[in-house]
Amino acid sequence: MELFPSLSFSVLCIQILVGLSKATILFIVASGLTLILGVLRIPNLAHGSLYMIGAFTTYSIATAFSQSNLGFWVALLLAPLVVALIGLIMEQGLFRFLYKRDHLMMLLFTFSFTLVFADLVKLVWGSDYRSLAVPKIFQGSYLLLGMPFPRYNLFLLLLGPLFAAGLWYLTNRTLLGKISRAAAVDREMVGAVGVNVNLVYAAVFVLGCYLAGIGGALVAPTQNISQGMDHSIIIEIFLIVIIGGLGNVWGALLGAVIFGLTDAIGILVAPQFGIVFPYLAVITVLTFRPKGLLKSIW
Amino acid sequence: MKTSLRFFCFAALVCCSLLTVSSAFAAKTIKVGIVDTYSGPASTYTNDVRDAFALAAGKINAAGGIFGQQLEFITRDSKFKVDLGLSAAKELVMREEVDILMGTINSSLALAISNFAKQEKIPFLVTFAKSAKITGEKGHRYVFSMNENTAMIGKAAAAGLAKKPYTRYWIAGDDYEYGHAVADAVWENLKQLKPEVKLLGKSWWKVGEPDFTPYITAMLAEKPDAVIIATGGRDCVPFLKAAQATGFNTQVPFYMHTGTEVSTLKPLGLSAPEGVIGTANYHSYYPDTVENRAFVAEFEKAYGRTPAVGALYGYIAAQFISEAYAKAGEVDTEKFIDALEGLSVDSPVGQVTMRAEDHQVMLPMFMGVTTKAAGKSVLVARDIVTISATEAMPSLDAIRKARQN
Repeated sequence: MELFPSLSFSVLCIQILVGLSKATILFIVASGLTLILGVLRIPNLAHGSLYMIGAFTTYSIATAFSQSNLGFWVALLLAPLVVALIGLIMEQGLFRFLYKRDHLMMLLFTFSFTLVFADLVKLVWGSDYRSLAVPKIFQGSYLLLGMPFPRYNLFLLLLGPLFAAGLWYLTNRTLLGKISRAAAVDREMVGAVGVNVNLVYAAVFVLGCYLAGIGGALVAPTQNISQGMDHSIIIEIFLIVIIGGLGNVWGALLGAVIFGLTDAIGILVAPQFGIVFPYLAVITVLTFRPKGLLKSIW
Repeated sequence: MKTSLRFFCFAALVCCSLLTVSSAFAAKTIKVGIVDTYSGPASTYTNDVRDAFALAAGKINAAGGIFGQQLEFITRDSKFKVDLGLSAAKELVMREEVDILMGTINSSLALAISNFAKQEKIPFLVTFAKSAKITGEKGHRYVFSMNENTAMIGKAAAAGLAKKPYTRYWIAGDDYEYGHAVADAVWENLKQLKPEVKLLGKSWWKVGEPDFTPYITAMLAEKPDAVIIATGGRDCVPFLKAAQATGFNTQVPFYMHTGTEVSTLKPLGLSAPEGVIGTANYHSYYPDTVENRAFVAEFEKAYGRTPAVGALYGYIAAQFISEAYAKAGEVDTEKFIDALEGLSVDSPVGQVTMRAEDHQVMLPMFMGVTTKAAGKSVLVARDIVTISATEAMPSLDAIRKARQN
């Protein structure tokens, strides 16, 4: 048996594309986590729960509108807003009063929210898993280089750069972005020059939650929507944020791409041990750059 | 005054006698304690077991019960956890004083309860757990399996696949006991039946893997003749979804146990992939016999949904209990077990027998290929081939060897 018989050029290309489309969702969710982490200094463990709520809400809205072909698109629009609203309530109702507490305290608070949200999801949607069909126009696959590539993955692939560009614009070109970057470095100074820091914090928190909701909505048609999807994503996106550099949006992008690619290529090269490759990548990165690849805001 | 006193005494007497009568009634029931996962994703499967058992028990009771005693059952939710399930089983035996234990979909829990049942000398009827160890290596006098196990899946699948023209195979599955057990069993048997088959390689994914697309493109690159997918439970659904999205099913035929079963296909509706080769113990539409049609009609009338494979397990469990007591002639645990060994009962899939030597029920397996059917919102199996129970059962030599170690 030759070594890596499968590593032909076309197969490698497709596998890279599959990996990148997976990285898109990871990036969108991780960027929300890293924004909140960078600006508000909250390690929000409940971020995965918000992603799960996003996915379940998408299911409910999409099935409510299942008569028309637009069900999923309506859900993609509305479900993240629902999640953002939950984020707003969390921030205004609780976190607003806790910014002075130390990180361990915050970690415990957000952990308690993961439990609350898990039970909430169980109450609202029950313990069964749900499955949502891919929207009509993205069903099936394209043939690229002789290999099938699912249309929905292509859609995700196109969304990735769009979100990256949008986040770049937001953080570098808008007032909110500039203030939040400044607030991340020195909160009191920003307050002293007359900026309403609380408002900025609320906006960033809600935006982060919104991104979790988008991630949940986008992933809904590709997998089982079930209890437990919060745990699996939170571990992955925390690793992504850590290898990218805490609080750095570009770090989240880089981390997500590394995670997605090592996963896809690993499956191709050593299918029996495909699971371990992303984690090996994390270990390698942290061995050589313990503070992450890009500059950490912390 | 005197009359009222007399009346009071009389009323008290009546009450007392009523009490003793009702307590006598209470003692005269046969209690089955069911421990299973009723919360979480596995409940999709277990609810059918319980509901079909309730349906069959209701019929038995309506026909006069077992020697006039009602067949009762109590359920406990194990939440797919071994410790919770085992303490629930203990509670059922110690406090509720159940005569028989039943359940569960979790193989580790089934083995734990089996061990407890052995110590307590309480019959334990396993429903849904698929580890071959239950009636193989860890089998004993008090444990019975009401469903197929990984060894039977392997033999049945190999028998079906050997008749197909494929020789170059790829194996992929859950990196977990069920996945490895099914993969090994299918492959061992297939190699024996068809020595020219060749294994190109294997891929293993974690249980609960959300996205199978990278695994599928990697397998497609190897260009196997066919793929054996050893994944179980709810993971079948996203796998089939990814297979549909990539067109995997149209390029490489693949086999998946329960791939044709309604529990797996229902969540996907008409977007489930066609052409998937699957095996299952039961279909509501096959075998198309009077018995099966009657059973489906009854189940649909009672619960408003089509029975899935779990319903068969629940139904035969109730049948075996009532017939075994009838054969034993009295309600006695040891006589019940003796009677259950080798007993045959009628079921929606025809007569099924409890093999005396290893306490494994002999169920036929149906191999088919998924297809859309006119007027149905869920895919069905076509070209169904029946693999008889005798073909699928592990050999008695294999059982003896496993138990010696």
